[in-house]
Amino acid sequence: MNIRELMVVALASIKSSKLRSFLTTLGIVIGIAAVISVVAIGQGGRAMLMQELEKFGTNLFVVYVNYQEGEISRQSDLQVSDITLIKNVVPEVKYMAPVFYTQMKLRGSQGQKTVELLGTSADLVHVNNLEIAQGRFLNEEDESAGRQVIVIQEDTAKELFGSEKPLGQRVVIGSTSSMVVGVLKKDTSVLNDNSRQSAYITMSLMRNMTGMSYIHQIYGSATSKEAVATAMERSKSILERRHNAPGHYEARSMEQEMQSANKILGIVGLVIGLIAGISLLVGGIGVMNIMLVSVTERTREIGIRMALGARRQDILVQFLFESIVLCLMGGIIGTVLGYGGAYVVAKIAHWPPLVSWWTILIAFLFSAGVGLFFGLYPANQAARLKPIEALRRE
Amino acid sequence: MIAVNDLRKTYDTGSITVEALRGLSFNIDKGEFAAIMGASGSGKSTLMNLLGLLDVPSGGTYILNQTEVSALEERDFARIRNKEIGFVFQTFNLLPHLTALHNVELPMMYAGVKPAARREQATLLLERMGLIDRIHHYPNELSGGQNQRVAIARSLANNPAIILADEPTGALDSHTSLEVMDIFQQLNLEGTTIILVTHEENIAQHANRILRLSDGLLIRDDIVPVPMNAALELSSLRKEAVR
Repeated sequence: MNIRELMVVALASIKSSKLRSFLTTLGIVIGIAAVISVVAIGQGGRAMLMQELEKFGTNLFVVYVNYQEGEISRQSDLQVSDITLIKNVVPEVKYMAPVFYTQMKLRGSQGQKTVELLGTSADLVHVNNLEIAQGRFLNEEDESAGRQVIVIQEDTAKELFGSEKPLGQRVVIGSTSSMVVGVLKKDTSVLNDNSRQSAYITMSLMRNMTGMSYIHQIYGSATSKEAVATAMERSKSILERRHNAPGHYEARSMEQEMQSANKILGIVGLVIGLIAGISLLVGGIGVMNIMLVSVTERTREIGIRMALGARRQDILVQFLFESIVLCLMGGIIGTVLGYGGAYVVAKIAHWPPLVSWWTILIAFLFSAGVGLFFGLYPANQAARLKPIEALRRE
Repeated sequence: MIAVNDLRKTYDTGSITVEALRGLSFNIDKGEFAAIMGASGSGKSTLMNLLGLLDVPSGGTYILNQTEVSALEERDFARIRNKEIGFVFQTFNLLPHLTALHNVELPMMYAGVKPAARREQATLLLERMGLIDRIHHYPNELSGGQNQRVAIARSLANNPAIILADEPTGALDSHTSLEVMDIFQQLNLEGTTIILVTHEENIAQHANRILRLSDGLLIRDDIVPVPMNAALELSSLRKEAVR
């Protein structure tokens, strides 16, 4: 018997008990659908995250103080003057901006909003790829002249000023007030949770408001992707020498962040995939169970086939093939459903489902493998029947 | 063609040992039409299973076409069942989810005959059995007599030298039984060796020879001087019906 004939025989037998075949296949359908959708969502999410991180720029790095346990922060650990020095000395550094974070309530003409207020410099717009909707970002003169200016986000502008034009409006922070010189476009990145809004002022203004002269972190961007490591290393060593504190500073690049995020997501995906795989295993056991029932029910058929000249291997192949076809059908339906499920989830979560050709290939081979593995025992039971005993069975 | 010497078969069911065949010896030549008769439990079905290589003897020798069967392996059994023996059973043993045509094609499929050639041969055989307009019917859509004719067509698929028929008329009425016997007599005339197991005397009388079994032993082996002619019986039945 060739493959086509085996297929005909297998399909005829599957068709002869439609409901049972359907229910048996359902186990495989669910298993494959679960695996495919988990992999598709996982891969899609990962690709999306990487894409977003890439948008920040792979040249990006951050320098921060590596506080040991029990260590008290010193005001002098990171200062704006450090940045000036690094920018002058390290040619690999293209842009570098200080960051000082604080929570502040902003009040406008129409409302108020608590935001994350960042003291920073003009360079941040380049480092973080901020997009300007109206006006401009902070500049050097704002800093040197000590102008009371602020850059806010579109959402914040709406809450503070309603439908009024935000540029030129005054924002009251505590007892001071600043003029809005720029509005940033709404960040649609999945990485940004939109409940947290940011506003930006100069470091000099921040110092006046808080009385703090140090900074929390330094955001830098290197001249190229290849220069990131050098830029980080040299920035670190300059800080260590300037503050006479070896090992006190740490730097991480976006590249490293991406790698570790990728690794974590990979592990999470694998674990969920394994759990989904268990349902496939259960489906496989269902197939084995029904194949065993089928062999018992069709003992007489096996006897007749043997009387007509079927060899043991013919019977073995027939039942194995049936099991494989059953599983493959489940595999195909499961792949379609799994992709559909991933598509729906991705639509809701705003990221593209990603089903690579090898995922489909593996699902295909795997369902065939399940059929082979769980069909082997029943098929062997069938092939081992003695013709006379099989014929006598009613 | 068939040479059996001191053939024995014992069934060991743990506590009891049943001697179904207690040493049979006979020859059946090519072209014979032999009936094997006996009451139930006489061992005639056991003998049939041994002759058809569906079961293996416990003792004695069985030579089929100059080949000592005990020297063969299971895969040879399958080949011989496929090519050299055609089986006809009391309950037809057709596969219910296959059409008449596909049932007849089955032995040819196991023989590796190409699909087109299979289809042609199966169609010809079914036509010969008078079932040309029933080839796409399933067994449950056919009468008992029609099913038995499909089964006979199937037994002829690979042009076997021997037909083994185990109570082929057991599930049929007398008229249909005669039709089946008519087919066997025609096949025998064309040279096919036929071995028929039956417990009905009037069916056995259609054969050229009757072997009678009792308690696992061959008690008589008679030539039938004038076998009954099924074709004549059928035509006289038809005349009676007209009258």
